[in-house]
Amino acid sequence: MNKIHFENLQETLYTETLDNGLDVYILPKKGFSKTFVTFTTKYGSIDRTFIPNGKTEEVTVPDGIAHFLEHKMFEKEEGDVFQKFSVLGGSANAFTSFTRTAYLFSATDKVYDNTEVLLDFVQEPYFTEETVEKEKGIINQEITMYDDLPDWRLYFGAIENLYHQHPVKIDIAGTIESIDKITADHLYECYETFYHPSNMVLFIVGAVQPEEMLAFIKENQAKKTFGEQAEITRLFEEEPNTAAIPERTLEMDVTKPKLSFGLKCTNVHLSGEAMLKQELAAELLLDVLFGRTSSFYKEAYEDGLIDESYGYSFSQEYGFGFAMIVSDTEDPDALAAKIRQTIEETKTSWSITGEELERIAKRKIGQFMRSLNSIEFIANQFTRYQFNEMDLFNVVPMIEKLTITDLQAAFATIQDEAGQTTFKILPKAKEDETN
Amino acid sequence: MFTKNEIQQGVTLYTRKSEQFKTVSFSLKWKTALTEKAAAERSVLANILEDSNGKYRTQNELRKKLDDLYGTVLYMDVAKRGENHLMTLNVDCVNDEYLNGSNVLAETLELIHTVIFQPNLKDGQFDPSIVQREKRSVTERIRSQYDNKTSYAQKRMLESIRPNSAVSTSADGSLEAVQAVDGAALLEAYRSMLEEDLIDIYVVGDIDESMLVEKLKALLPFGAREKRKQYAFKTDQHHESVTEQRVEEQQEMKQGKLHLAFRTPVGFYHEDYMKMQVMNGIFGGFAHSKLFMNVREKESMAYYASSSYASHYGLLYVMAGIDAELADKAVSLIKEQLKALQNGEITDLEMEQTKALLNNSITSTFDSARGQIEVFDQYKELDEHFNADMLKKGWAAVTKEDIQKMATTMQLEIVYLLSGKETATDE
Repeated sequence: MNKIHFENLQETLYTETLDNGLDVYILPKKGFSKTFVTFTTKYGSIDRTFIPNGKTEEVTVPDGIAHFLEHKMFEKEEGDVFQKFSVLGGSANAFTSFTRTAYLFSATDKVYDNTEVLLDFVQEPYFTEETVEKEKGIINQEITMYDDLPDWRLYFGAIENLYHQHPVKIDIAGTIESIDKITADHLYECYETFYHPSNMVLFIVGAVQPEEMLAFIKENQAKKTFGEQAEITRLFEEEPNTAAIPERTLEMDVTKPKLSFGLKCTNVHLSGEAMLKQELAAELLLDVLFGRTSSFYKEAYEDGLIDESYGYSFSQEYGFGFAMIVSDTEDPDALAAKIRQTIEETKTSWSITGEELERIAKRKIGQFMRSLNSIEFIANQFTRYQFNEMDLFNVVPMIEKLTITDLQAAFATIQDEAGQTTFKILPKAKEDETN
Repeated sequence: MFTKNEIQQGVTLYTRKSEQFKTVSFSLKWKTALTEKAAAERSVLANILEDSNGKYRTQNELRKKLDDLYGTVLYMDVAKRGENHLMTLNVDCVNDEYLNGSNVLAETLELIHTVIFQPNLKDGQFDPSIVQREKRSVTERIRSQYDNKTSYAQKRMLESIRPNSAVSTSADGSLEAVQAVDGAALLEAYRSMLEEDLIDIYVVGDIDESMLVEKLKALLPFGAREKRKQYAFKTDQHHESVTEQRVEEQQEMKQGKLHLAFRTPVGFYHEDYMKMQVMNGIFGGFAHSKLFMNVREKESMAYYASSSYASHYGLLYVMAGIDAELADKAVSLIKEQLKALQNGEITDLEMEQTKALLNNSITSTFDSARGQIEVFDQYKELDEHFNADMLKKGWAAVTKEDIQKMATTMQLEIVYLLSGKETATDE
């Protein structure tokens, strides 16, 4: 077992790669009563075209299948897995993102028993045509629920606009039509390809004794046999740097118009330090240009162009990346124009000073320290970083090293007008105004 | 779990030394009686005090100062509990131990003083343009509730069963009440918050407790005020019997939002309170509960189907997202689950699972500084020596007969359905 101590954070991380390829990370946290465990596969909604394990021909599976598979993992011949966790006092959950599927629990008692349930249920698939059919009703309701969430539609609308080909533009849950095509065979095919231990990470954080826990996990894994795993081949079509749709509007039953402004990142085939640097630089850049101390924010807030719903973010994974600015606004066009103007001004005359960078970097460091209070944050972020070969505990040194040149480089990847899009949600014109 | 220091009559400081966190967390809570007017005024006032002050005259200056303090978090929020309105100043700063040669804690304390005692006044008045702007912000916050269909459905349901009551009064007041807020009302609200409110101050972190108590006493010169308990909502004042209401409303939307409210005389201050918590857990609080297992898993009718216990109002809510055409079927399934509880159809497994998850939930909540503060602030009204073990012991003693008895106290008051218009077409 390797032991890495981070002096500045006063944390020690224990790691080992097991014989079957599973990467295990254990981070004991002083003072915590709870233990949080995540078991994550590097498999998400964008992995729709691939060569199944043991085969040579590529397949394209129905949209929403990674998420569907996540749901179905919880159902076994003997019943629902939640029941097993509950009796052990484990609060279990799972989520599917563009690039990951995570199964997790938190418990303050019987941590080994809960860990065993987690490892076993994720490593023992059980799918039948009957149970697959039954799940469709539940997922249809989940899709419908998201369809009615204006803020989700707003965020996703901009992503749909930005991409021509890349499957990030496809909703993680798929559509009612696409999930209708899913069969038990599909689920097994995806499972056999993406759920091999060598494609997964187990992260344990909180009230945990590292040596004992590792021995427990090894014993559990040694009892199981796993097939040969070929290197996973995922296939993606080439994605242009331009936004597929520059502007689009959706009408919904809302009280106030909403705007999302997407900026497509052009440097997306990164991993490791280069990826971490770009991510932090882009986030600091957005803080300077669009954060609460920016002149953009001050003017837009005072003019009533944005309200408390305002926010911005930078997201990237291997193969795609984008910045996004969202707000409810009475005048989406004026707000979009103001965002464009801020970008144009930065293009023509860069005004960010070293002093400003230093101040924003300080805030970022404090924000990161605060997020380390949350063991959920640590587990989820650490796993995401690991899949991208980045090091979560390198965040503070990297922020301290960032220069104006790094911010300029990050700006260069999102500044092109052809890669930008606006998506508006407008209140539906009402026939009956008294309603 | 907290060390208590009454620094003035009605002003209490609670501190907790813990090495668990990399930050020091502060919460200052002002409590007054909940009315629409007070809520509206205080919601706007909270925004104004968060915006700027006498030392940092603009939001920009204040935010830059916070950046310099390694992104010290500072915000105000409003909430309600029972018949109380709560206005809270939340501050989180990084422990200096993790930073090189910084003085963050001392400067953060100074800033807390400034935010409270040096508001941004010009000639004794709040700046009218800031007042206007923050009234607009609170107005937008209230309006945007319409867009979140679940919270809108919940709001409409409560307005139907408890109009003009603390149950349906928002912590932000109402559009009309916010509209009526002016400079004079804000000054008066500010004065009363400083001079008359019950004040509870919390600090959690790796701190020198006695030093911090002395510092805060000097830094926060609040005067004495009338000492009282928080205002409790009287849950036994429900009418003798009530006919079940059925309310259906429409928006342009796809899913049906089904919300039910049951009343019970068992509230937060009732001796059976902990029994009711377990009852709620078996009924619909978790993924092993009757509602989840039957409405979602067995019938595949919903993605979510759960219950929640609003103990401060003696109400229990059920909500489910369903195909609106199946609303009647869903309602009868929900009623069946309650009926089962009333008939004593409760397994040992359900009891065991529910108690295990309740234990896990309270222990987990205590793994965050805010969780410790929020839970303690509520439970200290029952017992000022409150700790998690008291709840665990209480839950452990609950029997199946107790659950059955609790279930029989529940009476359905309303079935509320928010759904799409029949004429709606898919886009």
